[in-house]
Amino acid sequence: MTGDQSVFGRDERRGVNLAVQEWNQNGGVLGNKIEVIIEDDQHDPRQSVAIANRLASDGVAGVIGHFNSNCSIPASAVYNRAGIPMISHGSTNPQLTERGFNNVFRVCGRDDQQGKVAADFACSTLKASRIAIIQDKTTYGQGLADEFRRQLGENCKVVYYGTIIQGDKDFRAVLTNVKAKKPDLIYYGGVYPEGGLLVKQARQLGIKAVFMSGDGILGPEFITIAGSAANGIYATFGPDINNVKTAKDFIEIYEKRYGEPGPYSIYSYVAANILLDAIKDSGTTNSGQVIHYLHTHIFTTAIGTIQFDSKGDVIHSPYVVWQVKNGQFVQL
Amino acid sequence: MRIFIQQVVNGLTTGSVYALIALGYTMVYGIIELINFAHGDIYMVGAYGGLIALTLLGTVRSALHLSGIGMLITGITAGMLLSAAYGFTVEKFAYKPLRQSARLSLLITALGVSIFLQNYVMIGQGASDKTYVSLRVLNSNFIVDGVAMTANQIIIFTVAMAIMLALDLFVNKTMTGRAMKAASQDSVAAQLVGININTVISLTFIIGSGLAGIAGVLVGFYYGIVNFSIGYLVGIKAFTAAVLGGIGDIRGAMVGGLVLGLLESLGAAYISSDYKDAFAFIILILLLLIKPSGLFGSRHS
Repeated sequence: MTGDQSVFGRDERRGVNLAVQEWNQNGGVLGNKIEVIIEDDQHDPRQSVAIANRLASDGVAGVIGHFNSNCSIPASAVYNRAGIPMISHGSTNPQLTERGFNNVFRVCGRDDQQGKVAADFACSTLKASRIAIIQDKTTYGQGLADEFRRQLGENCKVVYYGTIIQGDKDFRAVLTNVKAKKPDLIYYGGVYPEGGLLVKQARQLGIKAVFMSGDGILGPEFITIAGSAANGIYATFGPDINNVKTAKDFIEIYEKRYGEPGPYSIYSYVAANILLDAIKDSGTTNSGQVIHYLHTHIFTTAIGTIQFDSKGDVIHSPYVVWQVKNGQFVQL
Repeated sequence: MRIFIQQVVNGLTTGSVYALIALGYTMVYGIIELINFAHGDIYMVGAYGGLIALTLLGTVRSALHLSGIGMLITGITAGMLLSAAYGFTVEKFAYKPLRQSARLSLLITALGVSIFLQNYVMIGQGASDKTYVSLRVLNSNFIVDGVAMTANQIIIFTVAMAIMLALDLFVNKTMTGRAMKAASQDSVAAQLVGININTVISLTFIIGSGLAGIAGVLVGFYYGIVNFSIGYLVGIKAFTAAVLGGIGDIRGAMVGGLVLGLLESLGAAYISSDYKDAFAFIILILLLLIKPSGLFGSRHS
C-alpha cells in the first residue's frame, strides 16, 4: 500500500485483517481458514487491472476493494469476466455499478448522492452564490465535482471550473485565477494530499472563500497537511461511527490493536464481513451462488443493516456533512 | 495586472527551485557528459535530511531557545550536507567504476541509482507523506495591493539568487572553480596541466548535490510535505531547465530554471491548467527546433 494515498491503504488493510482474524478465531468459514492476499494497486489503473488478472487466475473467492474509482472500474470488468464477487469499500463513482455487472457491490455511497448533499448544503445552508469548482481529473474527483455542479440550485452560479494534476504540489497558478473570480465557496473534487495543499495555498494567497470537499479528504492526514488552514472546511461523508451503536465493538478492538480507525477502516471491515457471511450462509464459495446471496439478503453489520439494490449499491444514502473544528473532523 | 504579477511571483518561486536543481545536472554534464537521472532523488534525500534534522531539533528546540531562523538554517545545512554526502558516494560507487565504459551504461546506472534511492527512502522512511514543521517566520503572509507573498517565497528566491551568484563567482574567480571549468572543456588537457580530475569530479558532485539538498529543504518548508517520490517530476523539470539554458552552461541553467518556472505558471494561468506540466516540454521542443544548443548552449554540446 504505497503511493501518496498510502494511509487509506493501511486503514483498509487493517480493517480486512481484523475481520478475517475474528472469523479465523471462530474456525474460519465452511471449515477452512481464510487467507488474505494483499495487493497494492498504487492508485494506478494499469496496476489495478494487472492485479485483478492475477487474483482471478489465483481463483480467489472474492475481492474487497479497490479503493480509488479509477482502479475499481477497470478492475471490475476483469472480476466480472471471471465471475468473482467484488465489494468496494470506498469507490464512490456512480459508473462502478452502472455497467450491468452483477458481481460488483459497494458498501459506501455514490457520488451522485454525495454531490447532491454537498450542493444542497452549499446553496441552502451556506447560501453560497458564487462557486468555484476544482477537480483532480481522476474518475473520482471529476465525477464528484461534476455531480456537485449538476445538483447546484439556480441561485448558485459556477464562476470558475478548473483542474489540477494529481501528484502536483503547487496549485498557486489555478488558485490565483480562482481568486480573481471572487468566489464565496470553493468545491474540490479529489483526495487529501492535493486537497490539504490546495486549502493551505489558497489561504496563503489571501482567498477567504469557504472550502468544501468530499469523502476523499476525510481523515487526520488532511489536517496535518493543511495545518491551521484546515479549520472551518466542510466535507461530506458517512455518519460518525462513534455515534453508531453497532460500531462500538469494532472501534474498541481496532483501537486496541492499531489505534484510532481511519475513515474507511470500518467500511473495509464491513465489506469483508459481508463477503464472509455470504459465503458461510450460501454454504459454498461458488461465486454464482455467493453473488446471488449478496443480492438477495439483508446484512447486519457494524455500520447498521446493509441491503444491496439490483446494481450492487447500498439502498440508503449515508451522506452527512462534516466540518473541521479545532483541528478535527466532526459531524455537523 | 494584479493576477499577472501574482503569477510571476508564483512562477519565480518554483523557477528558483528548478534553477538550483538544474545547476547540478548541468555541472555534472559539463564534466563527465552524464545526464545524472538520480539527481532528482538526491534532491529528495536532501528534503528528508532537513526533515530528520528538524524533527530531532524540534524535541530540544525550546531548551536551546532556537529561533525560527535558526531552525531554517539548521534544516538547510543538514539537507545540504546529506545530499552532498549522497552525491559524493553515488559518484564513487556507481559512476566512477564505469567512467571508461560506454556512455549508455552510465546513463542506465543513473536510472538504477534513481530507483534505488527512491525505494531505499521508502523503506527507511515509509511510503506516506511526511510533514515539515511549520515555522512562523516562513508563513508570515504579505498582501501588497492584492498580490500575496509569503516570507517563504521571498527566502526561496533570495537564497537561490545568492547561491547562484556565489557559484558563478566560485567557478570564474577561484583556482578550484577554474580547474572545474578547464576539466569540463577538455578533461585530458586539464590533466596534462596538473589538474586532479578525480578531485574535480567529486567536487562537482558534492556542490551540485549540495545545491539540490538546499532546494529540497526549501521546498519541504514551502509545501510542508515530502515523500519519497517527489524527486521524479522535479528532476525531469530541472533537467528540462538545464537543456533549455544549454546543458553544460551554469548561467544557462539558472536562466533556464527561472524561465521554466515562469512559463509554467503563466501557461497554467492564461492557457490551461490541464497542461501545466506540458508547457515546460512544449517550450523545450520549440526551442530545440530553433536553437538545438539551448539558450546559452556552448559550441561543443
